[in-house]
Amino acid sequence: MAQKAIDPAVRILVCCGTGCIANGGLEVLAALRSGLAHRNDMEVESSDSALVTGCHGLCAQGPFVRILPQDITYCRVQAKDVEEIIAKTLEGGTLIKRLLFRDSQRKEFISCRQDIDFYRHQHKIALRNVGEINPDSLDEYMERGGYQALRKALEDMSPDQVIAEVTRSGLRGRGGGGFPTGRKWLSCAATADSPRYIVCNGDEGDPGAFMDESMMEGDPHSILEGMIICAYAIGASRGFIYVRDEYENSVRRLEKAIKDARARGFLGTDILGRSLDFDIEIVRGGGAFVCGEETALLRSIEGEAGEPRDKYIFPSEKGLWGQPTVINNVETWVNIPVIIVHGADSFASVGTESSKGTKVFSVVGKVLHTGLVEVPMGTTLRRIIFDIGGGVPRRRKFKAVQTGGPSGGCIPESGLDMPVDFDSLRQAGSMMGSGGMIVMDDRTCMVEIARYYTNFLAGESCGKCTPCREGLRSLLEVLTRICHGQGNPGDLDRLEEIGETMRLASLCGLGRTAANPVLSTLRYFRDEYRAHISQKRCPAGVCPELTELYIDAVLCNGCTLCVKYCPTRAISGQVRQVHVIDREKCIRCGECVSRCNQDAVLVR
Amino acid sequence: MRVKINGQEIEAAAGETILEAARRHDIPIPTLCYHAAFGGQGHCRLCLVEVAAQGDKRLVASCTYPITAEIEVSTSTPLIERLRGDIIRLLYRQAPGSELMQDLAREYGCLDEFITEDNREQERCILCRLCVNACTALGASAISAVLRGVDKKIATPYDEASEACLGCGACAHICPTGAIPLQDEGGNRTIWKRDFELLPCEVCGRPFITPEQRDYLIARQDDLDTGLLCDDCRRTRVARQMEPFR
Repeated sequence: MAQKAIDPAVRILVCCGTGCIANGGLEVLAALRSGLAHRNDMEVESSDSALVTGCHGLCAQGPFVRILPQDITYCRVQAKDVEEIIAKTLEGGTLIKRLLFRDSQRKEFISCRQDIDFYRHQHKIALRNVGEINPDSLDEYMERGGYQALRKALEDMSPDQVIAEVTRSGLRGRGGGGFPTGRKWLSCAATADSPRYIVCNGDEGDPGAFMDESMMEGDPHSILEGMIICAYAIGASRGFIYVRDEYENSVRRLEKAIKDARARGFLGTDILGRSLDFDIEIVRGGGAFVCGEETALLRSIEGEAGEPRDKYIFPSEKGLWGQPTVINNVETWVNIPVIIVHGADSFASVGTESSKGTKVFSVVGKVLHTGLVEVPMGTTLRRIIFDIGGGVPRRRKFKAVQTGGPSGGCIPESGLDMPVDFDSLRQAGSMMGSGGMIVMDDRTCMVEIARYYTNFLAGESCGKCTPCREGLRSLLEVLTRICHGQGNPGDLDRLEEIGETMRLASLCGLGRTAANPVLSTLRYFRDEYRAHISQKRCPAGVCPELTELYIDAVLCNGCTLCVKYCPTRAISGQVRQVHVIDREKCIRCGECVSRCNQDAVLVR
Repeated sequence: MRVKINGQEIEAAAGETILEAARRHDIPIPTLCYHAAFGGQGHCRLCLVEVAAQGDKRLVASCTYPITAEIEVSTSTPLIERLRGDIIRLLYRQAPGSELMQDLAREYGCLDEFITEDNREQERCILCRLCVNACTALGASAISAVLRGVDKKIATPYDEASEACLGCGACAHICPTGAIPLQDEGGNRTIWKRDFELLPCEVCGRPFITPEQRDYLIARQDDLDTGLLCDDCRRTRVARQMEPFR
């Protein structure tokens, strides 16, 4: 069969973020490359015909193949689909419907990425290059304006002007604390001490969070550029990127980026011909959640156990090895080149009065479009979860969203219209954290959620100061009792008392926020706690000792679906007859509840 | 640098901690993990005080907060007392076997706490880490705070008898709650799962030092010219040497 021609200008982007790799992205890439190899109509080598990119964001629908310039996005692509993509789309110019994104609300298939709601409502600054370029290619980064900010800073601006520009932009630390970045730099530059150090905090430890990972994997040069600009501004000679050990792809791509930047004169001595000497090395973390806390992270780089210290003197004055150190989160660094190139005013035109720019969130849990979302500060939770995230799947109702990682708080439906920024989240009893968002549906027990996070933190606290270590131990003990139906009426006051002590007396940010899951659920879902204690009942039907499931005789249509899925064969019943759950055999896993099309399985 | 503590004006050196300045002026602040030999650690948080500076009030650990400006400090407010009571209560739950914690719990009115967890009745360690500091200061570093979170404990590496341990007993000596078992019996000492021989005092014959500690002291070139003397006999001898100078 004669080969049909392929448009020589075509660019095929294959998502090779961690999520898509896990779902077969690399196999898709290999199949595309071998399928396109030795074609005389292709202008480029086969290895350049299908390009590796970082995360495309809509992880729930991966692996992605995006074809430019036509801008066709294929979702859920497997290696076996590649032959068809080449024949029908690349050669034939027709769409393959089953691989397109399906908008379940509008009931239509969408080929162009910008028409998908998930992308349409986003505003990409920090993620500007992620998913668009090959992270291993310095040339592609430079084609999109990379290292222009560094050139501008070094050639046209004094160090003071760089700091002033960052200050004026209103950029606040994206790692969770929200400390003004410009002020941090200024206080470091104002010290008399040298050497000075620069650290990038890439120890993303929140379960379900992958914002920093996507940037380290998808756009490593932006991080380097931000750090080099800072090195110029504050006069630092050495930089460190502290990466969570599990992030192998991040480490590999950062290593490549550092090597390439050195070869091109962006790192090393006399950077860009100026008298700036600066180099960056990677430090791999040991897997402790607490090492995301900056003073613990610095201890860890020094080779000590990762325990925080009191921050009455900031790291900007006494940090790594007692020297002035600027430590910023991955996302903060990525924003720096944008501020320098486009100016502080342009950056500050996005966002709210107190929180400027955008924020990247990883939206996970009971939400249709799990993925990576970047929106302007001040965007409402409703827009993020429903318009972008597609809402709660399986016809369930939204119950709460937990923001800010394990030590964040749970915000109920009444808070959905709150504009998200550093201050509003804190007022609502939660926090921005590094941007994790876990959506929960009505099958979630808030007491059990509080217990779950408290248990996580009890194991991940450093264990140094009393309020955090012993507070978590006591909280966990009380919450476990309540979940097992052994709660006492006085427990709720005691939980709040311990939480208050932890908030006020703990040494570091982890301890001061570790009671958030308990305090916020007590604030918004107190009735659920009361039901556990006084009625010995778990309204969500999660806590096994406090739950009894039954099938409503009127609603049940006898479809036998629940019978099929019950793991312990606790449900009996013939077709078109009412089914019954055997209380003795039932393990309250809730499988029947989620399977039933009639919502006939109820919680007593 | 002039600082006001509880309304009283005192002089403090720049960089000195609030706790040190207060103690020098006999202003009491309760602590559990502070020792003058090692300085503040900020672990127990019992020494919380309120600092007012530039119209801003905040709670800080007085053992680690360095005085760098003219501040006003309150060492006791109703909130601070409540927090201290709660910290005692939490620590008492962690170490109900410690007499010190029992006394403090009685003082702060929280002895009635019901201990539900198993096997905790005998626990005495409050994780103040004075033992670790002592061992590190001596140069042995045989013990350290290991694990994380609620599993944190003081131990030798892998909980095994440690080669680095000299058997000097400084850790047990400094422990405020008697949590480190040290057993001297029949010329032998057992500590941190390791058995040591005890050498006798040259004068009174009482076994008092391990060969490991003796060798360590000699290696450090400490003055052992006076011979191998126990504390009592050494004191007596020094006193006798001083006699002519009286």
